[in-house]
Amino acid sequence: MPDEKTLTRIANPTADDLAKEFREHSVAEFFKKNKQMLGLSGKTKALTTIIHEYITNSLDACENANILPEIEVHIKELEAEHYEVTVADNGPGLTRETVGKAFGQLLAGTKFHRLMQMRGQQGIGASGATMLSQMTTGKEIHVITGNDKEVISCDLSIDAKYNQPKVHNIKILTRKFRGTIVKAEFKEMKYVNNEQGPLEYVRRTAIANPHAKLTFTDPSGQTIAFERTAKTIPDKPEEVKPHPRGVTVDELLNLAKYTQARRTNSFLKIELDRMGDTAVKEVGEKVSFDLNKDPHALSWREIEEMVKAFKDITFIAPRTDALRPIGEEQIKRSLQTIVEPEFLSVVTRKPQVSEGGYPFQVEVSVCYGGKAGRRVGDEMRIEIMRFANRAPLLFDTGGCGITEAVKTVEWKRYGIRDSETAPLTVFVNLISVHIPYTGAGKQAISNDEEIVEEIRLALMESGRKTARYIISKEHERLKQEKKRIYMKYAIEVAIGLGELIEKDPKPIEHKLLETVAKRLKLDEQQEKKMEAQTDEDLEKELERLNKEDKKKGKAKKPAENEEGGEE
Amino acid sequence: MVDTKTKDKEVIKKLEGLGEQVYKQINQGANPTVALPVRSLGNIFFDQKSRTIKLGDKMSERQFLNIAHTRKFMQTMLVANEIKKVIHENATVSIRDLYYALKHTIEGTNENTFENQDESDPLIEDLEASLNLLREELHLAASAKGIISGPMVVKDGNDTIDLTRMGSGGWSVPSNVEEDRIEIKKMEADYVLFIEKDAVWRRFNEDKFWKKNNCIIITGRGQAARGERRLVQRLNKEHKLPIYALMDADPWGMYIYSVIKQGSISLSYSEEKLATPDTKYIGLTVGDVETFKIPKEVTIKLNQLDIKRLNELQSYEWFKHKKWQAEFDLMKQKNIKMELEALSKKGIRFITETYLPQKIKEEDFLP
Repeated sequence: MPDEKTLTRIANPTADDLAKEFREHSVAEFFKKNKQMLGLSGKTKALTTIIHEYITNSLDACENANILPEIEVHIKELEAEHYEVTVADNGPGLTRETVGKAFGQLLAGTKFHRLMQMRGQQGIGASGATMLSQMTTGKEIHVITGNDKEVISCDLSIDAKYNQPKVHNIKILTRKFRGTIVKAEFKEMKYVNNEQGPLEYVRRTAIANPHAKLTFTDPSGQTIAFERTAKTIPDKPEEVKPHPRGVTVDELLNLAKYTQARRTNSFLKIELDRMGDTAVKEVGEKVSFDLNKDPHALSWREIEEMVKAFKDITFIAPRTDALRPIGEEQIKRSLQTIVEPEFLSVVTRKPQVSEGGYPFQVEVSVCYGGKAGRRVGDEMRIEIMRFANRAPLLFDTGGCGITEAVKTVEWKRYGIRDSETAPLTVFVNLISVHIPYTGAGKQAISNDEEIVEEIRLALMESGRKTARYIISKEHERLKQEKKRIYMKYAIEVAIGLGELIEKDPKPIEHKLLETVAKRLKLDEQQEKKMEAQTDEDLEKELERLNKEDKKKGKAKKPAENEEGGEE
Repeated sequence: MVDTKTKDKEVIKKLEGLGEQVYKQINQGANPTVALPVRSLGNIFFDQKSRTIKLGDKMSERQFLNIAHTRKFMQTMLVANEIKKVIHENATVSIRDLYYALKHTIEGTNENTFENQDESDPLIEDLEASLNLLREELHLAASAKGIISGPMVVKDGNDTIDLTRMGSGGWSVPSNVEEDRIEIKKMEADYVLFIEKDAVWRRFNEDKFWKKNNCIIITGRGQAARGERRLVQRLNKEHKLPIYALMDADPWGMYIYSVIKQGSISLSYSEEKLATPDTKYIGLTVGDVETFKIPKEVTIKLNQLDIKRLNELQSYEWFKHKKWQAEFDLMKQKNIKMELEALSKKGIRFITETYLPQKIKEEDFLP
């Protein structure tokens, strides 16, 4: 994907200078050239990206209309590397007027510049998918959409030269339907069922959106349904104004272009967060021009001066109340249903503000045992589920700050001996109005130190809970093991002793078993009392249990060295 | 001599006493525990008066409710009961017999009560030490290992045996050589030669060394078992015979010598009955290499294990004599050890015709 600056220019024909240049190229040309930049290189990735675009649109539409989303995805293989994708939702539906914009105008949204916790920050949009269908098959896409007033069907394509939708064949349907169904064909793609395939995308979307019901039918005709585990629609994310500390010159220039304000001082107060009279006054003292100036006339250099001035002024930290985490309870339920681990813990950290002035928050979960982890052939591998604002990140795993955070946690300290091959699923959702993606593909977050550290802290906290679980499980196992050992020897002791002192062995055995039970109960109470709190305690306890296991192994000697006399 | 029956009753009483004590603990709901003397280097000392190794008074507890002890606790009960049975039946069994008698699969498991004899042997020693009883009093016999020949006659039960008429094989020393079992009818030897190795003993026997030198030759075939040690003690005490030990010049031979002389660590509780403090070390020594002009090429370089063992020996209380310390130092300094067979380099009869007579004549011994 081109950087935001370029996109903004493309998206805004009024942004004079570059827009002219842009108009001279066809949108399709641009699209072809930049295909790999937009995350469409790779036949698997292309298909997953298309699914992502449609699902994101559907989820956003449903949530905006306060509807619990129900989305069906169907991929049909028409011939080799040729698929028909159908996505149906129960959203509010589109109108004759809006359907064209939604599916037939590239980069039409204004969302590229809004500071808001959005899942649709990456990718090409549903119109990009239309373009791609057109480019690879020459066909139009087919849409059925029903709102409260009417249900229509139409065929749709993009006039690449003018970036305008072409809607044909509009029919009014008599059936009752509310929602949108889009059906499109694509070539030069490949459906695979792996960690980066469409099914995994849908699965992870279901995990991060417990209020949505998702159904997926793969090319072999198999349908998998991910039921919703929550019945509340998440609160709508709020749009927040840029904080002076985080705003870039380019962003401020853009804000200045479209502002309603007539003077720079009111422009600053209206468009920026935490900008009060005192701060404006301070800015005025630091810049070389009069803040009564019309903001529409500000030059790049003047804006640069202001941004520089902001760095020397103390502002209240940005608001964090615009962040919308999924929530511990919901994450827990959804992971329990979809991942089915033996044990899981969820940790939501408090919101933080980055150096750059953006609020962010981290939610993680460590799932252990059961069906957690990823099966590769006969082996287990750690599964790392990365999310940015609830949207799954499936690509660029290696270069992602989330992966980095997971890899640098010393899992051994939490009772997980070999994290690479442990039955472990690690869930990480980074929430921010401004996700620091690496590069244009927006499939990985940058190795930002503050964010990586925050994720690490969350994982360690969750890891401690896992360690406690592993320890208590190990305690229980050892207790059972001890009980078994004492019991089998108690019988022998009773027989041997009974014979030695000429007494009935039964009461002896009975009394011994009583004592065993009493002792084990005492041990348990002792262990509870000493419950480990700190990392070091946990580590020590894990080590102790390890040793105890070994000692027990030694107590039973192997049958060797048959010859044995004295000395 | 104590009447056997009375002794047996006393032993059974002690074994039952142990059981009663455990029974009482069980009834009180306590953790069943037996106290046992610690039988390791940390709890033994060299008693200057008796000149033997003795067991100290440190005790350890073997508990049923301790995952590391529980199997041994169970086994201790079984061993005690089995010994009582053997005494009841008025039999004497080998410690290997006992092991097999005790071995059975624990109900509902695929585990045996004892997996090998290494598990039962130390428990017998534990009982001997804690009840202060001799193995013979428990009606147990260790496997017989030693062989003996020479001018003496013994009565073993109803058989009278002349030890000059035992052919090339010698008489096999029984495990129990107490007076009530083995009676020494006639003794004409001047001294006893205790030889470390079976092969060397056979050469001496073939040469009729005992006849030419009027001595008893005996071997424990490596580490000496209780039978031959007890017999040697009797020959020394009852017949005032000097005991000379002929060993390899290495830490292992020297340790075997010290066991004959002062006793071993694991049997420290009954060494007064087994050790012969008058035993003298006739050879080999590293000093012999020069005295007898033994060619260098038949000596062997010390390895890491030898040096480690040598250092341990040097630290033992009963090896503190300055002559021994000097020998160890010399061994380390020359960095060599030597086997008895090495003397064959000087001629096949060198050891019997030159080496030993000269050593004995000049009383060139180590204490």
